[in-house]
Amino acid sequence: MRLDNIFVVLKREYLSRVKNKGFWIATLAVPLFASAVTILPTLLMSKSHTSQTIVVVDATGQGVAEALKTQMAKTAAAKSKEAAAAPARRPGKGDSRLADFTIEAQTPAADPQAQRNELDARVRNGKGKVDAWMWLGPGVLKDEAAEYHARNTTNFLTQDTLRGDLSEVVRRVRLRQAGVDPARMEELTKRVELDAKQVPGTGTSGGGIAGLIFAVVLFFLLYMSILMWGQQVMTGVLEEKGTRVIEVLISAITPFELMMGKLLGICFVGMTQLAIWLGTVLVLTAPGIVATLAFLPAGMTMPTLTIGMMLNLAFLFILGFFAYATFYAAIGASFNNLQEAQQVASVAVVFIVAPVMVLNQIINDPSSTTAVAMSLFPLFTPLIMPLRIAIEMPPFWQLALAYVLTFSFVIGMIWICSRIYRVGILMYGKKPTIQEIWRWAWYS
Amino acid sequence: MNPILEVRDVRKSYGDFVAVGGVSMSVPPGSIFGLLGPNGAGKTSTIRMIMNITAPDTGEILVFGRPRTPNDLRRIGYLPEERGLYRKMTVMDQLLFLGEIRGLKRAALVPEIDRWLGRVELSKWSGSKIEELSKGMQQKVQLIGTVLHKPDLLILDEPFSGLDPINQELFRELLQDYRAQGKSVVLSTHGMELAERMCDHICLISKGRAVLDGDLKEIKRRLGGNSFRVIAEGDLDRLRAMPEVEQATILNDEIKLMLRPDADGAETLRQMIGFLKVREFRSEEPELEQIFMKAVRDAA
Repeated sequence: MRLDNIFVVLKREYLSRVKNKGFWIATLAVPLFASAVTILPTLLMSKSHTSQTIVVVDATGQGVAEALKTQMAKTAAAKSKEAAAAPARRPGKGDSRLADFTIEAQTPAADPQAQRNELDARVRNGKGKVDAWMWLGPGVLKDEAAEYHARNTTNFLTQDTLRGDLSEVVRRVRLRQAGVDPARMEELTKRVELDAKQVPGTGTSGGGIAGLIFAVVLFFLLYMSILMWGQQVMTGVLEEKGTRVIEVLISAITPFELMMGKLLGICFVGMTQLAIWLGTVLVLTAPGIVATLAFLPAGMTMPTLTIGMMLNLAFLFILGFFAYATFYAAIGASFNNLQEAQQVASVAVVFIVAPVMVLNQIINDPSSTTAVAMSLFPLFTPLIMPLRIAIEMPPFWQLALAYVLTFSFVIGMIWICSRIYRVGILMYGKKPTIQEIWRWAWYS
Repeated sequence: MNPILEVRDVRKSYGDFVAVGGVSMSVPPGSIFGLLGPNGAGKTSTIRMIMNITAPDTGEILVFGRPRTPNDLRRIGYLPEERGLYRKMTVMDQLLFLGEIRGLKRAALVPEIDRWLGRVELSKWSGSKIEELSKGMQQKVQLIGTVLHKPDLLILDEPFSGLDPINQELFRELLQDYRAQGKSVVLSTHGMELAERMCDHICLISKGRAVLDGDLKEIKRRLGGNSFRVIAEGDLDRLRAMPEVEQATILNDEIKLMLRPDADGAETLRQMIGFLKVREFRSEEPELEQIFMKAVRDAA
């Protein structure tokens, strides 16, 4: 084995991918897309408000419409006060409404049908900018629904806000009718909140929910990278085999050098991409940016990436990549085209997907027997261990054992797969059976 | 002089199918050696064994006078039958890579690549991706990749297929330059006419067996002493049926006639005049194709 040969192949694999426009598009698209689905809606919600005018016909005789008007004005005022006081805070519950409401209260007319027709007409032609009208019959105070008439009835968020505020108002009327003081009631039924704080020295992430999001993001980045770059190894090997470049290459270097060069080169491409992604996460979660984007709820601190965690991530990525990519290399070498190879390659996907299935369980209890056992199984370690580390640092012995097991597994995979690769890469013609491929590994 | 490449009774079977059933050949230094035969004769199988891509079932292959080592393989330039390059790489990157895997340094490679690209008129394509090139251009790039490390032996599997006459001529010049430096070229082809123009040594393969092997001029002298070019009209079937005639290839009004070694040309002409209107009868060097067909028939 000559290291300079491996290096030449490594260099080609790395540069030919990193020089490719597609790599940069994919690499930059993921953070952009991720920001788009997380930050944009928050931004849109906090910045873009519409105002809606709703006519409420109150047939309850209990001043529900007027009370609703007050209630809505009160929440709107509270929200703007809160926003002015703490711009870094994300609007809390009940404030994430998309619109300000203007309520026009009416009493039922002598001819209700005529009144209904007139309101329908106002909504229809938008006269007086009326967006919807509601009819609150006396039964609303018991168990009847309130009628809601609008041009569109799929505006669930608006309806949700209306429903919430109306329920609040009606609840107070009901309480008063039952002789209970609403204010007293509210005081007594107040929810108890949990203020989750991590015991120092047990983990890496700061706050509960942010740490969790962070761990899950890491998990999926690793998952995507291992799957994507592992398959790149397979298509790369198939390309060399299909174009017969391989016949020229192995007159100059050994199949083992070629395979290792390819694996290392693509592994570094994957690490480059991960570094860019993690860098983006770091920048996006920098305190200044978080504040300006009004990204976090009050009282939540962002998790930080420590050096130890970064090193663990890098090593686990390398091990994970090799555990799967060696398999992909052997499969790519054994078959003649992508279709043939893909059927067998899907076996690897089963193992990569398995940790996703138990993701919830592990997040909930990262020290459970399932979590510990799975994080020690070499094919799962590279995905589950980072997740555990991000949530709660596992005991040292578990981490050490996981490394030893995975490392041994990877060495075994390199040994077997390079032997299959060596034979398969020069085999053309009929599709080999799994038994045949297995036999190749034991040719002397 | 010791042969640069020697193949000794090499055999290879795939299941019941005998791909190569005993091929021996010997490539002298400073020669262009043609491995000839129809499609499916076993040329590519033989070459793949020489290149250590497949192992022979039996037989021996000596390169530079000894059993091949991995380092010996690096002194060979090999152009496979099915052409392939990395489609997404530029011409320059591709050639640099092919040089570097043979241990050459980048600094030395760049001027060498530029020189070659200039010679085959591809200089302005140096930064283009392989997939943007025509097939003929790709083939030229691949040939450069084969000779870039100045190998002592070139093994080219069907190097002329898919090339237009101008590029064929260019390839021919390159190979003759190569021979002039005392190096050897082994090329396989099924085009007899081409081989005849280029090769000084040949090995004819048919159905996995070498049926003829040696110096082309010597083979022609030995096997084609009794060849004639005839222009005649009349009952050509009767001509074919004559016992002295071993082979008669008829092209329009021209007949390439090969007589049995013991037949007398003058006597045959006398008989022919009896049933043909002969306008021309002249002794001629036989074409390789005639020799090949005779050799295949003799072997069968």
